[in-house]
Amino acid sequence: MQTKTFRGLMVSGLVLLSIGSPTGCAEIQQAAENAARSSGNERLAKTIHGGGNLIGGMLPIGYEEEQTIGQAIALQVISRYGGVYDQPDLTRYVNLVGRAVALTCDRADIEYRFAILNHDSINAFAAPAGYIFVTRGLLKTIRNEAELSTVLGHEIGHVTQKHILDVIQRSKQIAGVADAGLAYANKNPEAFKTVIDGAVKKLLDEGLDQGKELESDRLGVVFASRVGYDPTAYVTFLERLRTIKGDDKAFFKTHPKFSDRLTVVQSSIREQGLKATGILLADRFSKTSNGIL
Amino acid sequence: MNHRRPCLAVMLLLLIAIVIIDPAFGETVYVAAKSAQLRSGKTSLDPVVGSLKLGETLEVVKRDDRWLQVLTTKGVTGWIYSANVSPSKPMAGDNELAALGQSVRRTDASAVTASAGARGLDRASEDYAKRSGITQQQRDAVDRMTTYKISDEEIQAFLKYGRLGEYAD
Repeated sequence: MQTKTFRGLMVSGLVLLSIGSPTGCAEIQQAAENAARSSGNERLAKTIHGGGNLIGGMLPIGYEEEQTIGQAIALQVISRYGGVYDQPDLTRYVNLVGRAVALTCDRADIEYRFAILNHDSINAFAAPAGYIFVTRGLLKTIRNEAELSTVLGHEIGHVTQKHILDVIQRSKQIAGVADAGLAYANKNPEAFKTVIDGAVKKLLDEGLDQGKELESDRLGVVFASRVGYDPTAYVTFLERLRTIKGDDKAFFKTHPKFSDRLTVVQSSIREQGLKATGILLADRFSKTSNGIL
Repeated sequence: MNHRRPCLAVMLLLLIAIVIIDPAFGETVYVAAKSAQLRSGKTSLDPVVGSLKLGETLEVVKRDDRWLQVLTTKGVTGWIYSANVSPSKPMAGDNELAALGQSVRRTDASAVTASAGARGLDRASEDYAKRSGITQQQRDAVDRMTTYKISDEEIQAFLKYGRLGEYAD
């Protein structure tokens, strides 16, 4: 009886340690599970195993896992939007503008990668771990480098704020697939596929919460402005989009209304004291994009 | 003993004067850019005296328009473009909770993620592509995107040519 109590305490201690220590806690959890099993308490062993999965499902996603998720979502984006537009000079240019903006964004420690989707629609997407896409149709609508910088700044904002990861984290709990654990993607490919497909549906079909879109609008002008681009270029761009799209219901299914976005952007510029530098770099943009869009 | 006191008083007055003249003196800021240059003067034409890393702590000596004169922890003084610093320490890597979550979920990095950025698509994504019927051409596209390289020097040259950031007039 005393031995059982001692073992119970030891197991409890190991469980607590596994929760409290970020390093090697999986090993400690495994040790606790083994100790419970060897003491003949299979029920406790299962509880520890399940508890670890439950805790894992509630804790934020780490960067290595984020990279795996980002790649999987990027595969779907490219697949559904006609593949990438094979124009090396233009792709390099978009990457240079994007990486220049990312250099001083609020999450500058990770890599950002940009690709052009061979699609006529006017759209842009950001997947976790810095996988960012703009359509050929969007580039056709843009008039200068400052506009491009703010659009890419908006997408970088989704990555810095981990918007898609937030959706996944919630869906994991809602759909009860936390047991799969994203790091078990190899061992539980079907559960991983469920998580990714859910995120892709949200990103491409349903759209993110309007609050997340507006937050990225605010951040986009801040990030572009830090590099010196004129933040008012985003206002011009959104006004142009409003003229083109009008009250397109399909578009507003995935984005807030232009009037709301313009209000948020203008107040962000005013409140943050962002300078209208006049730096638009229209020549550099048209020189790189003319004749190939 | 007697002539030491006036000397100390003068030093104290000088110190107070510095603090009054420049309120930025002694303020701590952090490098907020992925990489940043420390220069001998407050223009992009001045020579680079050091390279700074994201999150590095700097002590502000003086503020002048878009530039800050700073002292590094290594004792080097120089000028840095103001957009490259932040009053709060920037986010770097996973926070403790994310690291804990990853650990609890038993990430086997070598088996699962295979270092995106170095080798392109990882095993889990490859597997996902196969299960979802994603073509080889599309997989290659994400692979190229993952390994796409642009050096910091190239980005600096791009900024310089566009007169952006610290290269603005």
